Amino acid sequence: MTDSAHHGPVTATAPRARAPGFWHNLAFWGLLPSWLLMGVALLLPILIIAAVSVATRGAYGGFEWGFDLSGYRQILFNEGWTGELEFTPQYLVIILRTLALAGVTTLICLAVAVPVAYHIACQPPRLKAALVYLITLPFWVSMILRVYAWMIILGRDGPLPRFLEFFGAHAGLSFMYNDGATLAAMVYTYMPLMVLPVFASIEKLDGTLIEAAHDLYGNRWVTLRRVILPLTAPGLISGAILVFVPSLGAVLEPSLMGGGKQMMMGSLIQLQFSGGRNWPFGAAIAMTLLVFVMIVLLLIARRATAKESTA
Amino acid sequence: MKKYLAATAIGLCLASSAQAEGKLNLYVWSESISPALIEKFSKENDVEVHVDGYTSNEDLLTKLQAGASGYDLSTPSQHFLKIMIDQGLIENIEANKLTAYENIDPRWRNQWWDEKQEYSIPIAYGTAGFVINTDLYKGPTDSLKYFFEPEGDLAGKIAMLSYPDEVIGAAQLYLGVPFCSEDPAEMKKVLDLLMAQKPAVAVYSSDNIASRLGSGEVSAHFWWDGEELKARDGGAPFQLAMTKEGLVGWLDSMVIPKGAPNRENAVKFIEFMSQPENATEQMNFYAHSSPMKTVAEKVVYTKEKAPELYPEVPVEFSRTCSPAAQDLVTKVWTQLLQ
Repeated sequence: MTDSAHHGPVTATAPRARAPGFWHNLAFWGLLPSWLLMGVALLLPILIIAAVSVATRGAYGGFEWGFDLSGYRQILFNEGWTGELEFTPQYLVIILRTLALAGVTTLICLAVAVPVAYHIACQPPRLKAALVYLITLPFWVSMILRVYAWMIILGRDGPLPRFLEFFGAHAGLSFMYNDGATLAAMVYTYMPLMVLPVFASIEKLDGTLIEAAHDLYGNRWVTLRRVILPLTAPGLISGAILVFVPSLGAVLEPSLMGGGKQMMMGSLIQLQFSGGRNWPFGAAIAMTLLVFVMIVLLLIARRATAKESTA
Repeated sequence: MKKYLAATAIGLCLASSAQAEGKLNLYVWSESISPALIEKFSKENDVEVHVDGYTSNEDLLTKLQAGASGYDLSTPSQHFLKIMIDQGLIENIEANKLTAYENIDPRWRNQWWDEKQEYSIPIAYGTAGFVINTDLYKGPTDSLKYFFEPEGDLAGKIAMLSYPDEVIGAAQLYLGVPFCSEDPAEMKKVLDLLMAQKPAVAVYSSDNIASRLGSGEVSAHFWWDGEELKARDGGAPFQLAMTKEGLVGWLDSMVIPKGAPNRENAVKFIEFMSQPENATEQMNFYAHSSPMKTVAEKVVYTKEKAPELYPEVPVEFSRTCSPAAQDLVTKVWTQLLQ
């Protein structure tokens, strides 16, 4: 952003004066690597996906450059078993299911993370550092291993079924291969991403404001709702984004824990690129997913700026 | 800290100076090639061998289509091999002029997937079907009916693979629908069968099969013959169901992807793996049948010891589906799991 601010007035002046200004624009050259990185590593792949999504599919997978919107059409309309084009809600169902799973995961993470982060923020500094370290500890282990660990915990003869059997549950109990198992693994996997930003914003919370709220006869509920939540909102929102967005693309948990009986968007995209041999359609779904995410992020950003300007 | 960094840097230099003359990058079915043979090849030829694995033909095809993989050798199954030849993804190595060609068991030469045997040398073949845990299921196993329309013991205790490939093939065998059917009415029957089976299916997964079946999480799992054999050899109570409608067959071949950086080493490796002595050792490791000439007295998995490798029921090899047929397969699969 800074470079365009510097850049603007310079380009407005005479061309002769521009040259040295351009070459000496340190902010521009200093930021150039990051712009290049963003362009090559972020923007370019997305543009390629967008181009593939409108390409013509190859007969045996792959694609040929071209302009063909049938990938997008296929999300809503397909040939039925009798051959005519009809409205097929199956992909919408998969997309909505994915959104719902990501939403529920985010809500559970939020509900658990806020008290946890608050509790950590209230500890003495040394203990606080240790607790934050513990929260980040799971990142040191591969995600696949962590999901497999859950498969053992919930599976037949695992610690949890054994524990319940001890208290009289019937033998051979298993909690695997259902939506609950998927959700447990998702919440576990993404929890640290929620706790850390929430913790960061709660830690910055000014305690005197809470005291002031109490002085003004605000009870605990009012203090939470009107002082603590608004002040920590940025942390809550960024935590929610960090959990929601990767949850949309989750493949591992639904297939390993949920038993793969219902497709999610991630596995649907994977199927189109592999066995389905329909890359443009896979890319079209990926673009749709991306647009969903962008809309959500834009709405959040607009709300945040609207609040700032009214404040 | 600096000390460690310096030490690591020196270590890296030493490691790279001790590097072998040539290199060979394998992209093969996970854990499919005998590590002992790889080491032997590496020593004999002074070649550094790097092995990566995949768990589905689809993964391999997608990777090769995406371009320059950097791999020198792969082992696709027959129906994908045909696509790779047609799409120009693999090199014509004039395999029929290699010594390896002479070592192919004559009944596996010049099959429909590589009629002139120019592109590939086979390495393993086998079947896919239902494997049961004999501790948990004592009922009959001689028909696919017990698995596609399960009653009693098996209901809710069946696992299928997470890819449509062999699963739909087995359903087609049961219904008498030809592989790669382009008739929507026939494929609708396949979908109806799989939909009716779905409530009895615990999981659709291609990972972690041995432990899922061994722990009793499920009682029957769609699986491959050699994997079942290896687990059974290790003491697991498994048995491959010899279903009278047939088993789904596959044959993997060694091929060289287009633009392979170490093509010569790859050809050397193909010749190496095809020597009867080595082919025998490979079979003893992989526990799948060998399409090569083997040293009979050294074969561990004989008919007496491994009846699953010598099925007497019909074996139907997966075919290369036309785009129209493949779309129907994908449609069945998506509607099944929607």
